Amino acid sequence: MTNDRRPLILMSPALLWLFGLMVVPCLLILALAFFRRGLYGGIEYTWTLENIALVFDPLYFKIFMKSAGIAGLAAGIASVLGYAAAYAIASMPRRHQPMLLFFAVLPFWSNYLVRTYAWIVLLNREGLIVNLARWFGFEGEMPKLLYTESAVVIGLVYNYLPFVILSCYAPLSRLNPEIAEASRDLGASGWKTFRRITLPMTVPGIATGFVFVFVLSIGNFVTPALLGGGQFQMIGNLVYAQFLTANDWPFGAALSMVLILVMLGLLMLQAVVTERASGGKKQIDG
Amino acid sequence: MADRNTFRLMLLILGVIFAFLYIPISVLVGLSFNEGGLPTAWTGFSVKWYGALLQNSDILQAAGNTLFVAIFSTILSTILGSLLAVGVELRRRNGKWLETIIFAPMIIPDIVLAIALLSFFSLLGARMGLHTIVVSHVVFNLAFVCAVVRARLRNFDWSIVEASTDLGASTFTTLIRVILPVLMPAILAGALLAFTLSVDEFIIAFFTAGAGRSSITLPMQIYAMIRFGVTPEINALATVVMGVSVIALALSQRLNRGGLPGQ
Amino acid sequence: MTRPLLSLQNVKKCFGTIAAVDGVTLDIHENEFFALLGASGSGKTTLLRMLAGFEDLTAGDILLEGTSIANIPPNRRPVNLMFQTYALFPHMTVAQNIAYGLEMDKLPKAQIKTHVDEILQVIQLAHLAKRKPDQLSGGQRQRVALARALVKRPKVLLLDEPLGALDKKLRGEMQLELKRLQHEFGITFIVVTHDQEEALVMADRVAIMQDGALLQVGTPHEIYEFPETRFAADFIGVMNFLPVKVSRGAAHTSNGTRIATDKPLDLPDGSAAVAAIRPERLHVGIQSDNMLTGEITAIAYHGLDLLLHIMTPLADTPIISRMTADVADHHNPAVGQQITVGWSARDTHIFPA
Repeated sequence: MTNDRRPLILMSPALLWLFGLMVVPCLLILALAFFRRGLYGGIEYTWTLENIALVFDPLYFKIFMKSAGIAGLAAGIASVLGYAAAYAIASMPRRHQPMLLFFAVLPFWSNYLVRTYAWIVLLNREGLIVNLARWFGFEGEMPKLLYTESAVVIGLVYNYLPFVILSCYAPLSRLNPEIAEASRDLGASGWKTFRRITLPMTVPGIATGFVFVFVLSIGNFVTPALLGGGQFQMIGNLVYAQFLTANDWPFGAALSMVLILVMLGLLMLQAVVTERASGGKKQIDG
Repeated sequence: MADRNTFRLMLLILGVIFAFLYIPISVLVGLSFNEGGLPTAWTGFSVKWYGALLQNSDILQAAGNTLFVAIFSTILSTILGSLLAVGVELRRRNGKWLETIIFAPMIIPDIVLAIALLSFFSLLGARMGLHTIVVSHVVFNLAFVCAVVRARLRNFDWSIVEASTDLGASTFTTLIRVILPVLMPAILAGALLAFTLSVDEFIIAFFTAGAGRSSITLPMQIYAMIRFGVTPEINALATVVMGVSVIALALSQRLNRGGLPGQ
Repeated sequence: MTRPLLSLQNVKKCFGTIAAVDGVTLDIHENEFFALLGASGSGKTTLLRMLAGFEDLTAGDILLEGTSIANIPPNRRPVNLMFQTYALFPHMTVAQNIAYGLEMDKLPKAQIKTHVDEILQVIQLAHLAKRKPDQLSGGQRQRVALARALVKRPKVLLLDEPLGALDKKLRGEMQLELKRLQHEFGITFIVVTHDQEEALVMADRVAIMQDGALLQVGTPHEIYEFPETRFAADFIGVMNFLPVKVSRGAAHTSNGTRIATDKPLDLPDGSAAVAAIRPERLHVGIQSDNMLTGEITAIAYHGLDLLLHIMTPLADTPIISRMTADVADHHNPAVGQQITVGWSARDTHIFPA
């Protein structure tokens, strides 16, 4: 069967590339996490569990929990806003929906740094919001806006919201409108229909969006650095520091391993949620 | 009836969300044309900050580097990603592992891939620079190109491939004369997407650029400008970068209606 | 006369400038099995959705037991709809789907369970109560959808193409099943269908809809045997049409033969018309009021009977005559043969062309 080899030939350059430059480097990180840090920043090739243990050291574990808290808050807010937006888009006339969706997602494809920087301009001590407040006659001391946790959360929500809109819109647009009508017909009010029918059926979209925002937020170092002003550290900043300033690569590797584990765990959770909502599939037609 | 109120509520939600999404970047674009350059007061329309960009050799060099990285990583990833897509769809029965490996570059956190590549390159003792950025960008870019092309291939009529073979064409001829022309819009859309992603990518470039100013890309330049002293030029630079992304994306969308990954 | 259960008074629905339902007036009685029959785009589904409350009325009124329900939202109407796509809730089990409507009525839990169990027995799906909809076959899903609407014991049950998604054999069984359930529950059924056979088999009365208006309302027998318009005649069953011209107060074919009919002919002299005859009313070898000779061009075998295609000089298309198997055994028709068929004046309808 010579035919069977053609797909492999077509795939091999890309697969080799991914293998050499993604799989191998990631395995390297995995291995690195179990090596000892050398005296002057290098790597000593002896096995150890110290790095893993260090991740759970109260000092770092606190940072980890803090990151998870901020990421969770950002993911939660983005999920609510994103779902509302997706729901609103899905309830507009069909022919306008692609356009609305395009414009909802467009900012997502512009530069991340630029979008983050825009919030510096808005939240700055001399920024637009402060100026607007003054202009409206607000006197006295403005609360500090930039370089706060709230600023970081706003920045994360702002940057990742389009993705949540996209992931929530997919199941909403696929919903058969007759299902909601059936619920109304059987006596349910609009709100009850939403709570008992529409929401449970579209929860996978929210789960996907939430996991995505959470994973990208917890590993983020740009937003905490720019909008948090280095006031506090998140896991991403910690990893960044181990590799670029503290030169403790094994510990940095251990930290990112934990990140990957969190991501994998959440992805599995999301798969379960999706499975549940779709109704467990196939027992009869095999 | 109640439906009308619901509709109004939906319009209100859309209005608020779109305002949230667009006001910050609009302010930025507006400021880039502000003569005074400060957010405190509008002192008149001017393009002088765009002029200043052209005078700034650091920015020009970074722009050149970015273009270099984007062009080469786009070419490479378009070729690899398209071939991968055709192979994967031709093969059909693909294991979970294969799908995971193809999908992984799109979801793996940037920072993880960035440090993995940094460790890898330094372990190999490779000299880092623009070439390592190109090579690294290809990793995620080829996954996106592959996703776009695969979306097109899902409603591809494979019998035309058999027809071509039946009429005497070799596999290679079929690929060039039949498959490629049909896929061209999707391939171009994927290439534009890859170009945008590469122009905007910061974290991986930051980690794999190596030391020194010579391999700084625009996002790295912007990051440095934001962190160490904001100058009004940055508004103009941000507007230009955003404009490039938006144009590339709109073109991509045009070429390949509804074919963006995730859509 | 008793008051009708449901009374539609000049009901109208416009989408933009297009009238989907254009002034329908209709009474439907308690315990009636009523069918709305029409091609797609005839407005029948829109009319049904107006009854369910999903479309508001542009004009007119709908009365249920004498009270207007036009402004009552769908969730407060004692009317339930079985959707064409069934619209089962995919994340709920069969039992949960059926219980949903009763929960909305705030019935006590125990009572809901009793009702659900009862109806599951009726539709013979008790063993599948814990299944999710996508683990059911098409026929089973159809029955769950029916049970879900029926369990609320609505005053009127609306069914939108209830058998449309089933295969032919199952459809035949379900036609009888629906009739049985309607009888058992004593609920008024209104079925929307494009399948004339389905309408004739199941319904007590049938309304033919075209372009948003009711063309004819009557029992299946009336609709089939006494069509009031050429459209209705053509739409239901098979009908032969012969072009005729009216002169001296009677219809004449193109060769001048007078067509005998017992129906009043109120068309002016000189106007073009068609004479319509059902294939089963054309007989071979019997002296009748009307006679016609032609050549057999094709014979379609249907088991119980044969359909003869007879080309005559009187029409551009062949006349179709239905011949039962025993008559065919006697006559032995063959393609190319000349044949003479006759029919009675009683079976001749004349419509304006």
